[in-house]
Amino acid sequence: MKRISVAERPNWRTYAEEVGFNFHTFDGEPYWDETAYYQFSLQQVEDDLEAPTEELHQMVMDMVGDITRSEEMLTQLNIPRDYWSYVWNSWNGGEPHLYGRMDLVYSGTGPAKLLELNYDTPTSLFETGFFQWVWLEEQIRNGVLPARADQFNSLQDKLEQAFIELELSTPFFFTSVRDNAEDRGTVNYLMDIATQSGRNVHYIALEDIGVLTDAKGENPQFVDLDDHPIKGLFKLYPWEFMVREDFGRATLAANTQMVEPAWKMLLSNKGILPLLWSRYPDHPNLLPAFFETASSEPMAAGWVRKPLFSREGANVDLITGGGEEISAAGPYADGRYIRQAFQALPKFRDEHRNADTYAMVGSWVVGDRAAGICIREDATLITRDSSRFLPHIILD
Amino acid sequence: MKRSKKAALVLTVPVATLLIAGCEKEVQGMVYSSPEECSAGGWNTEQCEAEYAKAKALHPQVAPKYVSKEECEADFGDGKCETAPQQTASGHSFFMPMMMGYLAGQMMNRGANFQPGAATSGTNTAAAGNKSAAGAGVPTQPLYKSRDDRGTYRTAHNTPVAKGAGPVSLRPSQVQPRVGSLVRRGGFGQQAATRSSYGG
Repeated sequence: MKRISVAERPNWRTYAEEVGFNFHTFDGEPYWDETAYYQFSLQQVEDDLEAPTEELHQMVMDMVGDITRSEEMLTQLNIPRDYWSYVWNSWNGGEPHLYGRMDLVYSGTGPAKLLELNYDTPTSLFETGFFQWVWLEEQIRNGVLPARADQFNSLQDKLEQAFIELELSTPFFFTSVRDNAEDRGTVNYLMDIATQSGRNVHYIALEDIGVLTDAKGENPQFVDLDDHPIKGLFKLYPWEFMVREDFGRATLAANTQMVEPAWKMLLSNKGILPLLWSRYPDHPNLLPAFFETASSEPMAAGWVRKPLFSREGANVDLITGGGEEISAAGPYADGRYIRQAFQALPKFRDEHRNADTYAMVGSWVVGDRAAGICIREDATLITRDSSRFLPHIILD
Repeated sequence: MKRSKKAALVLTVPVATLLIAGCEKEVQGMVYSSPEECSAGGWNTEQCEAEYAKAKALHPQVAPKYVSKEECEADFGDGKCETAPQQTASGHSFFMPMMMGYLAGQMMNRGANFQPGAATSGTNTAAAGNKSAAGAGVPTQPLYKSRDDRGTYRTAHNTPVAKGAGPVSLRPSQVQPRVGSLVRRGGFGQQAATRSSYGG
């Protein structure tokens, strides 16, 4: 695993905007960054990332059924009691899931370690499946990279296949928060692929979803702006928010197929990390993890504290093995926490900026198959929403 | 090869469902604020009362419902809302605007060959039960006035019908009352306001 500086393609920004990638730069800072790329060997990709991703995924999936039947675990994961049978039904009814991303610490040698699962609302999808794919094709065409250079990135092929195979109602709706460009970009990409797979798709802003009830206020049904029923809905909006909002209860009775399904709320929760560790202690791809309780000792060096629900590194506190304390601010300080053993992200030299940088590997799962990777870089040990996205190649 | 065989976009911008305007024929209706105003307009008093009673009965069924009186008054004006007869299973009340007038849909079309439930005959053979058939008039129903446009009579689904009392021409499909439904929006997304990011 190497970090290699390379010239940017001229006019990539213009192209990005033409294909709807209008969040390539945030507040004047680059989000998409092609001043360098990461190079892996095929063996590193297949043995250290692809195979462990599928194994970790299988381990996680094997636990879901047990969690749905365990009052103790559902409580530990802070799943509201009103939703326990809904989640159980969603799992036992075999409601299909589409995709997820696990974040890994990997330095090129030794086993990759699972940092967390983003199994409900992962973004960076367009950047991975489309934009870094095009980057490689163009850099090969430009003669910058050899023709035999490859990329671990079958995301679009696998998503297309999933949209062909999944049983989805027609039309199928997609929703995201109205004024979020990044989430909208992710949803647009999924809708584009679904369209190419022959699906009839509609977009509705999350805030525009209606609940139609009968004259007694019963039998809720989700409806679009024309009051037509929404029978299938991909939601780029977290389950842990939905179950705590006004329309949450309507999902219990509404006849709407949700993607991701309700059982995914068990896996997009950092409480899955201590549960995994207790079932698979000393697994080479897991880090020790525990639920924090009122009687937990103050956090020692070499540990990380994460809220059960948090995104993009928000509200994460860590103490490195050397005792350095790093904290990320955020809006998720209102819930429970887990602790996870600290494993430093590998450090690389960013020649373009003449600075050190840390890299994290995101590993995608579509259906139940490993489907590609993406790299996020940050100047700190906590990867957050402002962290840059860099392309990668496979070249031996 | 470890990468997709192709990565392509069709860049389809989803289009809103197009309204099917069609070549529907306009029919006549009458708009009045009360049966008294109706009979003062020279119409048969008994008919004015009958149509009014029909609209009044429909009012609690079709009027838009709000979970609070304040939300209702924000749309329809102070003191212009009342408690709806419906309640949720948990006993929570709804509020709805007061009926400000009515659309009498059958009076102008008397003598036409429309008889609800009767066998259709002649040339005006629309689908059975389709009350928008030519000669059938428009559906009789309650009308409302919004806070910011006091002059206009509107249907329960906010379709403007008339600027004042008297005869109007309408396409029946635009004023079909939808009975028995309560729609609320905005029940998802509250947490988004307090959290910075939603995907991850």
